[in-house]
Amino acid sequence: MKKQKEKEIVHGVGKSGKIVSYIIMIITCLISLFPIIWVAISSLKIDPLAEPGFTLPKTLYFGGYVSVFKDMHILHYFLNSFKVAGLSVLFSIIMISMSAYVVARMNFRFKSLISVMLMSTLFIPPTAMTFPVYNLINNMKINDSHAGLIMIYTCSGIAVSFMVIKNYFMTIPKELEEAARIDGCGYTQTFFKIMLPIARPGIFTAAMLAFMNYWNEYYWASMVLTTKELKTVPAILAQFQTAFSTNYNGMFSAIVVILLPPVILFCCFSKYFIEALSGGAVKG
Amino acid sequence: MEITGKKQRRRKNLFVAAFLLPTMLCFCVFYLYPILTVVISSFAKWDYTNLNNMQMYDFAHLFDNYKYIFTKYPYFWEGIRNSCIWALCGLVIQVPIATAVALVISNKCKGWKLTRNVYVVPNIISSAAMGLIFLQLYNPKYGIINEIIRVFKPEFSENILFIPKVNMIALTCAYIFFAGTNMIMVLGQINAIPEEVREAALLDGARGWKLNRCIVLPLIKDTIKTISILSVSAGFLLYNEVFFLTQGAGGTKSISFLIRELAVVSPRAQYARANTIGTIQILGGLVLIFLINMLFRERKERSRR
Repeated sequence: MKKQKEKEIVHGVGKSGKIVSYIIMIITCLISLFPIIWVAISSLKIDPLAEPGFTLPKTLYFGGYVSVFKDMHILHYFLNSFKVAGLSVLFSIIMISMSAYVVARMNFRFKSLISVMLMSTLFIPPTAMTFPVYNLINNMKINDSHAGLIMIYTCSGIAVSFMVIKNYFMTIPKELEEAARIDGCGYTQTFFKIMLPIARPGIFTAAMLAFMNYWNEYYWASMVLTTKELKTVPAILAQFQTAFSTNYNGMFSAIVVILLPPVILFCCFSKYFIEALSGGAVKG
Repeated sequence: MEITGKKQRRRKNLFVAAFLLPTMLCFCVFYLYPILTVVISSFAKWDYTNLNNMQMYDFAHLFDNYKYIFTKYPYFWEGIRNSCIWALCGLVIQVPIATAVALVISNKCKGWKLTRNVYVVPNIISSAAMGLIFLQLYNPKYGIINEIIRVFKPEFSENILFIPKVNMIALTCAYIFFAGTNMIMVLGQINAIPEEVREAALLDGARGWKLNRCIVLPLIKDTIKTISILSVSAGFLLYNEVFFLTQGAGGTKSISFLIRELAVVSPRAQYARANTIGTIQILGGLVLIFLINMLFRERKERSRR
């Protein structure tokens, strides 16, 4: 209690300021949750068309959810998404932590050039490169396959992971490396045996951000994958409007099911997620 | 660490090269090569008739694609106008919202952690899913927005996504308020301000809004610049919302939408012309970043006076 009072004094918030704060906080929560809550409520109505708007359902109906799992085989698409996002994260994070370590810890020619090059990818619009990348994937004969999508994901989104991991490596004291070197570790050994385990929190944060991005990615997924069985979750979303043209209850249920994994993941790891964004991650 | 001897230096260089190689390879495959292709082929004839052999235009016709895009292509100006509008919306709507919410949350009233986490939720959901949700919200038959409009205009039964100009507002509203990740960045920076600075300001009598304006905002300016760049580029590149909500109908095409339309979707694909728009998009993005940098630098000088 006392601590809290001190905090208020420190932040200089008066009573009126507090009321305003609460109002804004409530509005913020409402705006961010209301679309999701509305969809969740509608998914429980037998016929959303008959009971439109923000009304509570007259009778609870779970048939939509059953059909999402039974008829839509939604788990199949979850598996696709999980496979693509997971493998892409694995490849890109291993690759990027290697380069991030080198850039963070070693001096060599062209270091700043390479750093700038990798960072510049943040500002290159991926949509501008739609055709060359699409063409490349076609020529490599990996269009309409998970391999193609994994390749695109692994190569894109370098900048953020690079920044997060590099900043983490920079916080590790240099003495550790020197000690390892004196004990007779080579460069490669030092990296894999000493630095990588220490940098695990930073790498984990980067991996989580990347996973969320890949999981949610729609643009490339919808372009590369054309076979329905191969589609990832966001790509299958585009077909919902037509697939459920009359079964509104089914569509609402499907949307809710699709929202669940990222939300659950966020609830479990919100600490890392918020730290990644609020820490030095974005200072560049 | 001292490096002694040629052998060790060579070993180090080898290590550096080996560790950088995969990332650089990816950079070349996904960024360098496509950008070069985009820029070069924007000066060439390359469409569905000659997919496998691109032909460079001769010198007199070098800018034919640009001429076509600027003067003949019917949707280009619509696309660039919309994309610029969304970029501007990012700066004047999204950034202030993110900053304001961060300032409010930084007061640390009870429940601030909950609010912070809740505000991020729409951002961790795929924007494709968000687009689909808003498509339901805007649905004239069972959506909630039309219900609200009917309170004021009882006879209203149109789909607001089909009404020109109104659909732009509807599209913007579908994403502009969800600035959770940006808010977190600002909040992190506010929390990083040393307590001594705050205490000193409080002793000087700065309170509430004044404290925020005079002490906090100048200190977090760099982060505000970062989120400005992020939201402006996001607005400039908007695609998912356009695709899910209107499919580009009713004057809502964005330049990303046009590129995809020309390069992949259309059966008479115009690769070179898609790449022309891509070049314009890359340049436009750079110009926007430059403008934001200018905007923030000018402010700095002014505040110094």
